[in-house]
Amino acid sequence: MGYSLTAVQAQQVLDAIRKDYRVYAPKRFPKQGRYSDTDVVRYAEVERLEDIVWQVKSDYPAKEVLSPIQQAVFYFTEDEYRASKGPNKPILILARPCDINAQEIQAKIYAGNGGYDDYYYQRMRDAVKFAVMDCNDGDDTCFCCSMGSNRAEGYALALRFSENGLACTVEDETFAPYFEGMPRAEYTHRFVEKNALEVTPPDLSDKAVRLALKSHPMWKEFNARCTSCGSCTVACSTCTCFTTRDVIYGDNPEVGERRRVTDSCQIAGFDQMALQGELRPTAGDRMRYKVLHKFHDYKARFGDRHMCVGCGRCIHRCPEHISIAATVNKMSGAVEDILASQAQEGR
Amino acid sequence: MNQDIDIKKVRLNCYRQSKVPGEFMLQMRVPGGMVDAKYLASIEHIAKTWGDGNFHFGTRQTFDITGIKYEDIPAVNAYLEDYIKEVDAALCGVDMDTVAHEPRDWDPQSGYPTIGARNITACIGNYHCICGNCNTFELARKIEPIIFPSHYHIKINIAGCPNDCNKAHLCDFGIIGVAKMVYHPERCLGCGACVRACEKGATRVLSLNKDTYKIDKDPCCCVGCGECVRACPASAWTRRETKFYRVILGGRTGRQTPRTGKMFLNWATEEVVLGVLKNWQKFSAWVMDYKPEYLHGGHLIDRAGYKKFKEIILDGVELNPECLVAEDIFWHETEYRSNFNVKPIAMHQTAGPRE
Repeated sequence: MGYSLTAVQAQQVLDAIRKDYRVYAPKRFPKQGRYSDTDVVRYAEVERLEDIVWQVKSDYPAKEVLSPIQQAVFYFTEDEYRASKGPNKPILILARPCDINAQEIQAKIYAGNGGYDDYYYQRMRDAVKFAVMDCNDGDDTCFCCSMGSNRAEGYALALRFSENGLACTVEDETFAPYFEGMPRAEYTHRFVEKNALEVTPPDLSDKAVRLALKSHPMWKEFNARCTSCGSCTVACSTCTCFTTRDVIYGDNPEVGERRRVTDSCQIAGFDQMALQGELRPTAGDRMRYKVLHKFHDYKARFGDRHMCVGCGRCIHRCPEHISIAATVNKMSGAVEDILASQAQEGR
Repeated sequence: MNQDIDIKKVRLNCYRQSKVPGEFMLQMRVPGGMVDAKYLASIEHIAKTWGDGNFHFGTRQTFDITGIKYEDIPAVNAYLEDYIKEVDAALCGVDMDTVAHEPRDWDPQSGYPTIGARNITACIGNYHCICGNCNTFELARKIEPIIFPSHYHIKINIAGCPNDCNKAHLCDFGIIGVAKMVYHPERCLGCGACVRACEKGATRVLSLNKDTYKIDKDPCCCVGCGECVRACPASAWTRRETKFYRVILGGRTGRQTPRTGKMFLNWATEEVVLGVLKNWQKFSAWVMDYKPEYLHGGHLIDRAGYKKFKEIILDGVELNPECLVAEDIFWHETEYRSNFNVKPIAMHQTAGPRE
């Protein structure tokens, strides 16, 4: 069922949905950007239609709604504890196909991985429905088509915002009542079918090639360029790493809270072992780990796809202008070098 | 060269005497050091038509054109009409028919009416720089109509951040863009990037709390540079929307007692900075008994004393709640001659209206 709504009508629908759902969408936080007089666009609950930023891609991903940077896991008092409360209302997230595809990846890592379901992720995921947003062709850091995440499935609504209002379809019939009496119109949601930026991950199925790639000099470049700040993984649509921390409330060490807080494989100390050094002590080591995890290891474990949806947020947020797309393409070049030298050695 | 030239009059018109008799260097004002690049063609035209073909970046960010012959000054002034009208009058909103805010007809063909209130310099600021906390040249354009045209001298330098590349510490009235930060603990990873950035690049006011893995801050000693915002991977530090400024007072170079300026205001809003500068003419006039001399602002503060300066300059200015003001200022001068100030009392300078 398609609709064509004016801004006033779209606000009425939003108001109606908000009676039953908490609605999250990309929202502008003026002048909260990294640099003076720049904004940040990140996910937050929205009440007004004009709060929804549809014109540009958000700086931070939709995953922040499902797995916030900081989350209380449980509260403890002496030998008792109580789990934190889950969502008190169903949630509707307005997201682009990259973010929706990313949740398939996050769900694999959080749920069922190692025979264990992450209770805190699962209770959020169960409460969430997605409304897919039109991408307006994306921007120059998007490479979703290369990663097969330009289309989405299983969404409740498909939305295309414009200055005049909203064109949409209702895919999940439970949402139909919110649109009652609204003007019908044909609307076919359009997905991006080609990005200007294309990425071709190399074939890393050969173990000898992987071993040679691990010690390839290409990673040394990042010792000088990457500052190991972790902006890329915080902005990543799919990264799930977190750490747990116990916070004691006052002077009684038996009362407090266990939290989980987003962590990053790019930050020094992430892989620090008890009484041991780090496994990946340099920025180059950490970059290699991240890139191979995204473009080999995850797929080797879970089978179907790489752990990157091509949202390009890591490129956009990197203060040192390191492009994951350029890095993967460099990696392809390195693999060609390795194959050529292996052929020369008559392997 | 056999000419009768009133050098001082020519200087007031923004032409500087050359060591070559009869030649002068034009100094064109560029408030905040930023104008449309189309004016480079005007500079080229002046330099090639009336000058010696060369161009110098003035130390106060003026466009300096050397080798202009005295007899060509009227022609150059006529040519300057468009530049002065477009840059000072239109872009900055300067009322050219005033001097020190008193009505005085300006002949648009006669060039600059005063050299006093020198060109306001600025770094590129947050228009471009990743460190900048404010738009420096927009501020300069707001200050220009307050201080120019005037025969009272003041040198104002604007720096976009406390790194002070533009040396706000070495002028009469140095303005530094600072930010007040907001911490969002719910977005903080506890990675310590801000702590390291502050330690390396600023005043070491942040520390990682080992109990909470959140950041503790000593707000007293924060210089407001925003390095923590730049360092944070998760936008857990952001700048407040309101822009704040630090004012550094009384810095100078010179042959007698050069000195670095000292902090006069901290965390002042733009409104306060502009309000203070609006009192500058009043203060200068009072010190010099309403007779402008070729004397820069820092020396006027010396004559009046800081407390008198403070009284006049803050008159009627409503300070924002965050704004801090120096109760007293203790400058540290380079005394080329020891006990420079100890001299016969008849040589002492006085300030204020005379009988």
